[in-house]
Amino acid sequence: MDKVVVGIVSGKGGVGKTTLTASIAALASKDHDLNPIILDCDVDAPNLSIILPNNSESQPQTKDAYTTIKASFILEKCVHCKQCIDEHYCEFNAISWDKRNEIPIVDFLKCEGCGACKTLCPEHAFDIHSVKSGEIISYENKFGSLLIYGKTRLGSTTSGKLVSEVKEFAKSSDHYKDSNLTLIDGPPGIGCPVISMLSGINYIIAITEPTPSGLHDLIRILELVKQFQIPFSIVVNKANLKSPFQKKFKKYIKKTKYKILGKIDFDYSIPEAMSYAEPVVTFAPDSPASIEIKKIYKNLKKQLNNF
Amino acid sequence: MVKNPKIICVTGGKGGTGKTLVAVNLATMFKNEGFKTILIDGDSENPNTYLLLGGKLGIRESVPFFKPSINENKCTKCGICADNCVPHALLHVKDSFPVPILAVCSGCKLCFKICPTVAIEPDYKTIGWVYNLNVREIELLVGELKPGEARSASIIEALIEKLEKKVQEGKEEYDVVIIDTAPGAHCDVEELIEKADYVIPVTEPTKFGLSDLVRINELISLLHKDFRVIINRSTLLGYKNQFFNEIKNLNLEILGRIPLHEEVVNSYCIGVPLMEDKKSQEEMGPAYKAFKDIYENVKKWIEI
Repeated sequence: MDKVVVGIVSGKGGVGKTTLTASIAALASKDHDLNPIILDCDVDAPNLSIILPNNSESQPQTKDAYTTIKASFILEKCVHCKQCIDEHYCEFNAISWDKRNEIPIVDFLKCEGCGACKTLCPEHAFDIHSVKSGEIISYENKFGSLLIYGKTRLGSTTSGKLVSEVKEFAKSSDHYKDSNLTLIDGPPGIGCPVISMLSGINYIIAITEPTPSGLHDLIRILELVKQFQIPFSIVVNKANLKSPFQKKFKKYIKKTKYKILGKIDFDYSIPEAMSYAEPVVTFAPDSPASIEIKKIYKNLKKQLNNF
Repeated sequence: MVKNPKIICVTGGKGGTGKTLVAVNLATMFKNEGFKTILIDGDSENPNTYLLLGGKLGIRESVPFFKPSINENKCTKCGICADNCVPHALLHVKDSFPVPILAVCSGCKLCFKICPTVAIEPDYKTIGWVYNLNVREIELLVGELKPGEARSASIIEALIEKLEKKVQEGKEEYDVVIIDTAPGAHCDVEELIEKADYVIPVTEPTKFGLSDLVRINELISLLHKDFRVIINRSTLLGYKNQFFNEIKNLNLEILGRIPLHEEVVNSYCIGVPLMEDKKSQEEMGPAYKAFKDIYENVKKWIEI
């Protein structure tokens, strides 16, 4: 096994990505041949650091990310011709006209940083700049492995690019050359941040639950994973949920013959562990959920030996 | 004159906290009382409202997105388009035609606007769809992103445009618009909060719920919106006391608490909203009662 990147995704939010990632991270951190690096790529709502805090000796390192470009207006150059508005320079409606001062105003939240205004304005009264879009934070967590996560600055319209930046950061870290496993907690959805996360991944674990929305969103995320031709397997969380949807769910799993890496039955040790912000495998190591997650980890390692 | 409906946006930061559950049941309760209600599913990456309502998506409209098309008869291979494209969505090698790289194209149309020989022509690709349907007497507008496409913000724009057109047309006089957003605090969520008069973040009493609530509240405040919180799975123990202390310290108004209960899971899985049935006092479970209280609080808040 050599430097594999494993991503955990679900499509739907709140089905157990972080729960599973944290437990696998805790288990993998003890595997010295793996020396894993753990990434949280849910840059809109990064939560893994709550459950994998830094150990007492390590100081978190923070690096600002400048993945967003925004336009700015240069008053001295403006001749108030209003062409920017009349000729609709901005396709994102980020430029509006201040009637009182006869000048354009750039809406920071709406600006995509495409630079059209800068190029089109005959007086060069617009410019574009990189602005701070978020932070990348890294430290040695309490299980001894390196944790790296990104956090967007609100309103910076950059989630996807920040995800790429977090992955680049991991590759350039000192730990990388001695590490054989990068484990990524993915963002929910199937859009821009997920697409950024999927590029360069060797193996995907898709976690789901036996509910209509769980299955619906699983189908959508797998469509994307297949487009990227990444091998994947499935973990069913809350597998024994008392749900009138169980029959349909089981039928789907049977019909598709997808590889099932494990099935975690609902067990109070999970919400309890989460409410204390601990991975369930260290909080209640002998609970049914922990035993199943350890099996999942073993199965995952078997899968990874093929790489 | 066109009547302006009250616009409520349900959001939450963290995934899986119960946004869709709340949006669908609020819409159901408004409908039950005879208010003309339209529900907007703004989670275009994973639209789930119609599943909870037991509906089926039918007729759809495509959402087109600009893509540059190079007319090789007119192109002089000058490279001006590529030189000015900030996201590098046009690849130009000397003495050859520029090649669009659609995955990174922002759709700004700058290339089309500046080409000196008008060799770039606007073309369009479908990046998703907007559906308009009626389920259980609730009108539903659903945005869906095509898997593999990244520009979900354009689906949201199409949804908003469609909604505004419907309200303007005045064929139906809507009393209430309920918007369900994606998880996160990115541009799609921002755009929908921006459109709302009232914002409801749905959270849960865990450290994670709190952390994401703080972030989404920052965003809502940045947009100067009035908001009140719903706490789902309010009976989860462990972090509960600290959670409610924090809520108090943050001075947040609570619309209600929904306990973790089988009746919620069941309604969720059979595609019939919990609040669809009118129940007598004895038949009401704790979650049903919680929703009733929330509804009354919402009505008072939005003055309807």
